Amino acid sequence: MPLLHVATLSLLLGALLCIAVPGNSKRAAIGIASQVIATFLVLAAVGPVLGHQPAIVAELTWSYPVDLILLRIDGLGALFLAFSMPLTLLGAVYAHGYLRPYFQSDRNIGVHYALLNFVSLSYLIIYSVENAMGFLLGWEIAALAAWLLVIWDYRNQKVRFAGFNYLVSTHLGVLFLITAFLVLFSQTHSFDFSQFAVALHSPGMTRNVTFLLLVASFGLKSAFFPAHTWLPRAHAAAPAHVSALMSGVIHKAGLYGLLRFTLLMGAPDEWMGWFLIAFALLSAVTGVVYTTVQRDLKRLLGYSSTENVGIACLGFGLGYLGLTWHNPVLVVLGFAGGLLHILHHAIFKCLLFYAAGAVYSATHSVDIERLGGLARRMPQTAVAFLLGGVAIAALPPLNGFVSEFLLYSALFDDSVVGGQNRGLLVLAATVLAFVGAVSAFSMTRAFGLTFLGTSRDPTIHGAQDPGPAMRSALYILSALLFVFGLVPQVGLTLVAVPAGQFIALTHRGLDVAQVLAVPLGLLLPIVGVSVAVLLLVGALAAVRKWASPAPALTHRTWGCGYTEPVPRAQYTGASFSGHLASYYKTLLPMKVTQRLPTGLFPAEAHLRMHAVDAVEDRMFEVLDTGEATLALLAEKTPQSPRIAFAVGLLVLVATIALVLASTGGRL
Amino acid sequence: MLASLVLHLLGLVLLPFLLPGVINRVKAWWGGRRGAPLLQPFWDTRRLLGKQPVYSDVTTAVFRLAPLVVVATAVVASLLAPLVPGAGIFPFANDFVAFAYVVGLGRMFLMLAALDTGSPFEGMGTAREATFAVFAEPALFLVLGTLALGSGHGNFAELMLPHGWQAFLVSPLCATALFLLLLIESARLPVDDPTTHLELTMIHEVMILDHSGVDLAMMQYAAGLKLTLYAGMLAALVNPFPAHDQPLLSALVSLALMFVTAVAIGFVESLVARLRMRLIPQFAFVIAALGVVALLLASTQPELG
Repeated sequence: MPLLHVATLSLLLGALLCIAVPGNSKRAAIGIASQVIATFLVLAAVGPVLGHQPAIVAELTWSYPVDLILLRIDGLGALFLAFSMPLTLLGAVYAHGYLRPYFQSDRNIGVHYALLNFVSLSYLIIYSVENAMGFLLGWEIAALAAWLLVIWDYRNQKVRFAGFNYLVSTHLGVLFLITAFLVLFSQTHSFDFSQFAVALHSPGMTRNVTFLLLVASFGLKSAFFPAHTWLPRAHAAAPAHVSALMSGVIHKAGLYGLLRFTLLMGAPDEWMGWFLIAFALLSAVTGVVYTTVQRDLKRLLGYSSTENVGIACLGFGLGYLGLTWHNPVLVVLGFAGGLLHILHHAIFKCLLFYAAGAVYSATHSVDIERLGGLARRMPQTAVAFLLGGVAIAALPPLNGFVSEFLLYSALFDDSVVGGQNRGLLVLAATVLAFVGAVSAFSMTRAFGLTFLGTSRDPTIHGAQDPGPAMRSALYILSALLFVFGLVPQVGLTLVAVPAGQFIALTHRGLDVAQVLAVPLGLLLPIVGVSVAVLLLVGALAAVRKWASPAPALTHRTWGCGYTEPVPRAQYTGASFSGHLASYYKTLLPMKVTQRLPTGLFPAEAHLRMHAVDAVEDRMFEVLDTGEATLALLAEKTPQSPRIAFAVGLLVLVATIALVLASTGGRL
Repeated sequence: MLASLVLHLLGLVLLPFLLPGVINRVKAWWGGRRGAPLLQPFWDTRRLLGKQPVYSDVTTAVFRLAPLVVVATAVVASLLAPLVPGAGIFPFANDFVAFAYVVGLGRMFLMLAALDTGSPFEGMGTAREATFAVFAEPALFLVLGTLALGSGHGNFAELMLPHGWQAFLVSPLCATALFLLLLIESARLPVDDPTTHLELTMIHEVMILDHSGVDLAMMQYAAGLKLTLYAGMLAALVNPFPAHDQPLLSALVSLALMFVTAVAIGFVESLVARLRMRLIPQFAFVIAALGVVALLLASTQPELG
């Protein structure tokens, strides 16, 4: 625990100093230095916990009404701290390169670094407290710090709007969380998680209502569909490293909350498992379908977060089913697969955002329709983005494939009893395959149109790879993709202790080590497959080089007889996804403005396509017309006794339902 | 075991040339021509290997890497996929998932190489390939997942074993679905026309327009291999002789069935007009519908329920 105290102190002191001292370079250096110290201390503290040592426990006394806050870092908290802290540090390093142009200006960079320190501080609180008040405090620090980080470019009205949108959405989530906590408080008269656990252990209405409230809140935090609308805006508006941290790290707190309360709740009901699976797949499908039509690279990556939290949550749903069916193999495959996916997603999503940020710093654009041919000018960024794309599409030999393979293994697990259950899981696997295929589609489109071919906009020129600070982040994360993809022992060692906690919920006497060996046994053959592909590519390259008859010629691209190709004639993002998008019109409404050429001598013509978010579009529509509808209703109500009666009845029913819910059906 | 291993490896080398040759011969026969020699694809490949490659000045390392990845993934995939029921070369739990994703990696590099040329035609082909893959891949999972459920086994070769009374319904449905999938995945009519003369109407052929010499040879070999391994899967599913009882007989039956599949493709190509591009996803939905029916049948099996 002393290590963590020093880490907290280092973060706070660093935040203070990097605002106070003059000179932007010094401020950044102090910020990074304090993050380095804190990260190493935290890793030193939580490392033993992940190595099967007992949890770190401490108490904090505070004034009334909180009195006593219990701090406890178990395997789950340790895992989240173990990846959140280093990745935030990497973000701070990347920021040193990304914000370089501002270093000479009179803007205080220190504030930005101080906020990054506060983000790290929020992890230390959220992942350790065992008290609702403390949890909410950490939650709020994370939300406010992230909001202020998003509106870095606050002079831009669009950025301010994106930030405000985020702020409102995240607080809607807090509202659900507070409601859930109050329901539990009314049962236990305590804000301690250990007391909550007692209340949550008994099945019934209270537990069901609390579960749904918590899922709503944590789902909003992690940007599940349909609560994802803040996410693409915020991710497109924020600086690249902030988008990366929000998507990959900060909002994983939502999934952490879900897992934490699962541990408190003990064995769940079966419907909760199916509910989570359905909820997760809905997010995965809608998130990934949205990625197919985006023209803003960072927006695209933002939507893919919705997809990936869905995939991770699918694992948790399977784990729930395993808990209710007393099937320890399914528990470990589901939870270990989901946790690994969280970890892997943090790595490849940060990498992709960093590569997109490098594109933005070089070209001042992330618009797929304007870019093209960047691979020749930014080869290292291109390799990083390609690797990230292969990983996020869950293709071998990188890490995304490893975690999704575990989830498939859970879905096709033949120890599941009941033909209907297995049939439903096969259907879920089909949906997951669809998500994977669409993800490959999106990444091919994003990488192919941005980095390959030729530039679609002649005003973009002189792009080159970023400086050492940003490149180092790309190198480290790219290397991690291979480490976690080819040596699954690393990832499985990290998630072993938390996965064991979930097995222990229902199987106390079981030999956990034996169950934890199952995923490794499943993963080793696919490592063989990945290595075989890599070796074969190498061997074929050598053979091709050796067998080549003569040096290759260079010529222009075959234009099918047309000899004057122009870059604008290349396939665009909209034309690439047009056919696929036409199958999802409800989800992907297209705003099209066009003036098509007519007659023998056509005048100027144009076609503009813009994909809008269906949920947001409808929400605004309702807000827009909703006021008028409400006004109409309010006008009518006094004259129409029927409506007044209906409204009164509704209020009465809602009140009774709430009262019943809060007493758990025991009046 | 040894027999099936030898067959498997021989199949990997020979059949990617032979099966397209058979298809072409059948089409020639329907057209009243004598047709090219059965091993014409092999002689074509040999000629290509001796040619000097030409690279577009727009392309990057991705273009040169792609043929290697495409061939490597096709070879690894064909080592995972069974040709006979019950005996894979490297069987492991859920190897069919690995198979599908290895194929997916090859597809991604095939598409990226096409986009690397900056050609609008190849972009068009890529968009089509990517779109149809979105519908074909889940259909494959549905079929294989159904077979896994119906057979109660978790690896690729064993899930081709017949099992239970529903096998009489589940297997034919899945076999039909696999044959339709084969037409999509190996770019045959009515999905794609390998002999069309117009780039605007192609899918697979337009993506490899700019490949030449050894690279083109690799792409064509990989395409032949993909056809072979889908035909092999189909043969393994239809083959009534499990490999562990009568390995030689099982292997010969599978081989014969693969030739029958090639002849069937030749028949389809000669008698069916190609679909409009917009109808191809519906074609994939038919596969998915067959898969769902099979899944319903398989999941109501009494011994599992």
